[in-house]
Amino acid sequence: MSMDKNFPGSLKIPAQDVLPTCSAACPVHTDTREYVQLVSKGDYEGALDILLKVNPFPSVCGRICHHPCESQCRRAAIDEAVSLRMIKRFIVENTREYRRTRRKKPERTSQKSVAVIGSGPSGLTAAMDLALLGYGVKVYEKDTKLGGMLAHAIPRYRLPAEALAEDIEDIVATGVEVHSGCCVGVDKSFEELKKENDAVLIAVGLSESHSLPIPGTGSKGVFLGVTFLWDVANRLYPDLGESTLVIGGGNVAIDIARAAKRLGPTKKVYMACLESREEMPAWKWEIEEAEEEGIEILNSWGPKAILEKEGAVSGVLFRRCSSVFDDKRRFSPTFDDAETNLVEVDSVIIGIGQKANLDFLGGSPVAVSGGRLQCDIESMGTSEIGVFACGEVMTGPGSAIKAVGTGHEAAKVISHYLETGELLKLPDRKVLDIGELPAATADLARRFERVAVNLTEPSERIKDFSPIEPVYTEEEALSESRRCLSCATGAHLNVPNHCAGCLTCVRICPFGVAQVRRTAIMPPQQCQTCGLCAAECPAFAIDVLRFPTGEMKKAMQESVSGLDFERVARPFLIAYCCVNGTTSRKYLKEQTAGEISDSGVLRVLVPCVGRLSMADLLSPFELGADRVAVISCPEDGCYYPRVEDWLTRRIKRTQKYLDQIGVGGEYLRLFKMEGSGDESWPKIVEEFRAVDIKAAVGH
Amino acid sequence: MSEKSVMKSGSNLERVLSSGHFAVTCECGPPKGADVEHLEKKIELVKGCVDAANVTDNQTAVVRMSSIAASSILVKNGVEPVMQMVTRDRNRIAAQSDLFGAYALGIRNMLCLTGDHQSFGNHPKAKNVFDLDSLQLLDVVRNIRDQGVVNSGDPVQGGIKMFLGAAANPFADPFEFRVIRLAKKIEAGADFIQTQCIYDMGRFGEFMKMSCDMGLDQNCFILAGLTPLKSAGMAAYMNKNVSGITIPEDIIKRIRGVPKANQAEEGINLLLEQIQEVREIPGVAGVHIMAIEWEEKIREITERAGLLPRPL
Amino acid sequence: MIVADPKPFLQVKGYLENFGKVLIVGCGTCTTVCLSGGEAEVQILASGLRIAFGKDGRRKAILEDCVQRQCDEEFILPVLSRVESEGIDAVVSLACGVGVNFLADRLGKTPIFPGLDTTFYGAGMQQGLWAEMCAGCGSCIVAHTGGICPVARCSKHLLNGPCGGSEKGRCEVDPANIECVWQLIYDRLKRLGRLDELRNLMPAKDWSTASDGGVRRTTREQLYELK
Repeated sequence: MSMDKNFPGSLKIPAQDVLPTCSAACPVHTDTREYVQLVSKGDYEGALDILLKVNPFPSVCGRICHHPCESQCRRAAIDEAVSLRMIKRFIVENTREYRRTRRKKPERTSQKSVAVIGSGPSGLTAAMDLALLGYGVKVYEKDTKLGGMLAHAIPRYRLPAEALAEDIEDIVATGVEVHSGCCVGVDKSFEELKKENDAVLIAVGLSESHSLPIPGTGSKGVFLGVTFLWDVANRLYPDLGESTLVIGGGNVAIDIARAAKRLGPTKKVYMACLESREEMPAWKWEIEEAEEEGIEILNSWGPKAILEKEGAVSGVLFRRCSSVFDDKRRFSPTFDDAETNLVEVDSVIIGIGQKANLDFLGGSPVAVSGGRLQCDIESMGTSEIGVFACGEVMTGPGSAIKAVGTGHEAAKVISHYLETGELLKLPDRKVLDIGELPAATADLARRFERVAVNLTEPSERIKDFSPIEPVYTEEEALSESRRCLSCATGAHLNVPNHCAGCLTCVRICPFGVAQVRRTAIMPPQQCQTCGLCAAECPAFAIDVLRFPTGEMKKAMQESVSGLDFERVARPFLIAYCCVNGTTSRKYLKEQTAGEISDSGVLRVLVPCVGRLSMADLLSPFELGADRVAVISCPEDGCYYPRVEDWLTRRIKRTQKYLDQIGVGGEYLRLFKMEGSGDESWPKIVEEFRAVDIKAAVGH
Repeated sequence: MSEKSVMKSGSNLERVLSSGHFAVTCECGPPKGADVEHLEKKIELVKGCVDAANVTDNQTAVVRMSSIAASSILVKNGVEPVMQMVTRDRNRIAAQSDLFGAYALGIRNMLCLTGDHQSFGNHPKAKNVFDLDSLQLLDVVRNIRDQGVVNSGDPVQGGIKMFLGAAANPFADPFEFRVIRLAKKIEAGADFIQTQCIYDMGRFGEFMKMSCDMGLDQNCFILAGLTPLKSAGMAAYMNKNVSGITIPEDIIKRIRGVPKANQAEEGINLLLEQIQEVREIPGVAGVHIMAIEWEEKIREITERAGLLPRPL
Repeated sequence: MIVADPKPFLQVKGYLENFGKVLIVGCGTCTTVCLSGGEAEVQILASGLRIAFGKDGRRKAILEDCVQRQCDEEFILPVLSRVESEGIDAVVSLACGVGVNFLADRLGKTPIFPGLDTTFYGAGMQQGLWAEMCAGCGSCIVAHTGGICPVARCSKHLLNGPCGGSEKGRCEVDPANIECVWQLIYDRLKRLGRLDELRNLMPAKDWSTASDGGVRRTTREQLYELK
């Protein structure tokens, strides 16, 4: 869906070498800024297109991504990061129909084929990319369900099967040949795969849990983490007795503990780890949610032995862990045997980390050393030509989105190999970002609370595996999307040789960002995109990347030129509406000529009406409007300080000018929304159209 | 610097001052037209009560009969004029030419002023001149009188004698500069000084002390400017709107304290007290009474102040 | 910088009643900086004229242009050729009077009208406020007045100190908006320890270097010699 006409220029932000911090932090460099902006303009479909461009797993990521984008969001310097994952989830859950219709099976253009072992996020990403490039692709999955760890290791309260299915359906629709329930090395030999295909990609992930080198691990009631999670995912609930202790402090351990809690909401679940609370590798929010659910975390304890009674677990004996890392931040735990702790439990689940199962390579020339696949990180090649690796088996433990990233890279190197017979050395993966938001700028920005969602009450959520997090409503998603600073898409000197260095931009910038050094400079990493400088620039030398008003005028001209003025309801009113007030996309959609004619209203949507210049305020009259309404944010609703004041002054001057021109200043009015735009706009517009201005002025 | 002991013009005012009498001058504003009769009536009212009468030069930038012509009529009617000349309306060529003309018509006292800004008058759209300021005008006239040369250095044909005056405002800012400016005016050629209307006697006393400390009273006659208040309304108006004039609150209160019908009388009483007060201040050589459109009171005022009859 | 203000709209409109094709030319230097004659003001005036003439039921072509400076030949050549090639009936200049004159001298039979009233040489005091600072008198005296010019900044151009209209640092002509420059000079010289400057009589000024001396020309002798 194109909303270009309604939001001209919005998609024309030039590709820049320097990414905003959110995109830079994302392993696949999702154009975060763009999808959030598209949401704010009501183009959820366009936003989905942006997501899918780099990430075949937006539904998964909308649920479980650890969102490095949010961790690096520059808005955090002002108040809190934008809730990007929630916006992403809103997008995918509101575009399902569109998503199905946009699927296209690519044409197979190459005779060559690739076998992918493993259907986790990395394997499937590579498979899809290769299919889209025209190769034949076969995916081998030892399980009956596709998705790897996503399907088996992530509890359903975090990632429902349907969400994963949405992503996988897209991938399968590209024509990837799926061989599920086919375990390479058992059902089909690795050598066979090699022979049948031109390249093989090993994407088997880290599918097995590490055990512990302590006594008692063989007792009844001791489970390995991944096995436990697989069982839970497949509803084969094991008996954990009255109390369980999960060993480990990472995200998988948290998943295990929370899953265990759901198996017996009234039972006691402990977690124990070497790390102190601050050192725990699990995400802070996951730890908090686990605690809310009644899971007790025992920090800084190292398991010494699992104690048993009659062959079954009776407890775990710990000793104090004095430090986890050495002074070079390497894992090197030290213990204090003098301090011990005995925790009596009926079962123990070990969630201290995973390893790959590479049994299928036994007897093949592909080198494995110390249980690890030998792989060149630059070319992604193994010791055997034509055999590549990606995902966690190559990188070690990581996130789903990181695995997706290596999947893309694998497709790139394999394609290169298939076309040239040579290995491609991938360039340095580091990207430049625009850096932190300077504190001086952040201090001047207005604060707007992040739109929070309420998770299901802990007491309710531990009862089963139902999802615990609601999706944003449209109103919430639109509201949150507007918190995005749209970093580095602000003002820039568009026509440098027109700049007279007049200092207007410097003097009116509410953020103290603009400078003049011979000519104006609006450092993109500081500009907050309010557009005031562009509106006030006497040389029209400044434009705002995110919303060039010149193009807005053109679009308005186009809309008006399609009208038959004989038929347009009078008075014909052009309303500049601040887009920040909308609660649905009802009014964000482009109006048809018929709609405009019948209603006598043309809406022009502006992300902050403060950026309308005096010429912008006059041009509707030139285009034939009888009245012009400028509808700004509700009281205290403006994202930018002082903009309203400058806008009011500008409108006053324009009204005086309209008086001189003979139009009458009364025909231009500034309104403030009351409540949402959806409620306010029609009311304001109708009331203004109904006013008998001549009579009013006559008095 | 002028020498008090040497006669500059031989005018009546100069003689009165030089002989050590306490001088009295007043104002005689020319009509807003050529109404000679009206002017002559005013002249009659002040005749014999003052040593000389100031003839204002388009005061407050309102167009009136020229001060040269009006001064000449005063001469004809037996009252000595102090012809005011402002630099607002004439450049140095006109100023010198007018000076020659005035002298030829028998005018012997001249007060050099910059003049009120035209924005206060009835022709705010006029272009002003200000080729010279009041000090420069004094300097130019003094050079004509004493050196016999016009500003360009060309010789003057036949000499002129003129008693030169200037205005001083002890109440404008910056206060510390006011005495310096007075000194500059005396240095530029002022033989006598008329001050702005005095209401704040304390500040005036301070100003006079500073002037005497600098010895300015030795080189120049200083006339204290006084204006009778007709009503409490006038007092309040002047205090608020006339820049350079401050009327202390107790004076306004005093006038306001009497019934409307008696306020003018109270104003005169106040003025008489002020005359006595300034007579006591060292360095004050006389009073300049600015009874604005109230010339008919001059006789009563001078009489009651014991200033009559006038000497010579 | 030269400061200029927009002329009343109806005055400009009145100039153009009888012309069909009008070119409005902005100036990218001083009048852009003082927010009266840059690209933006060209658009605003053009837009206003189109709307106003449209309301009168008259169609006129109102064209827009803006050059870097209207006071130098090279910059205005494109405007001159545009006037020629596009058959412009009248030009409105949003430059200071210099630009209007300079164009007028070169526009042959095409009339030109000023869109601005040129006011003074001034400085930007803050956003939207300019103040006169120099009168271009041709013989600068501020060496004696602490660098502050009474010729430009005293309502009466007094050279020997403040008149009686100086009160609390303000000028009686418009106390709310005008400072008494002599108060400024006094304060500054006091700070500089040079109050003695004020004791000297500044003699009648030589105005022959100002416009009073006739129309002025100036040269750089290594580049141009006056006849």
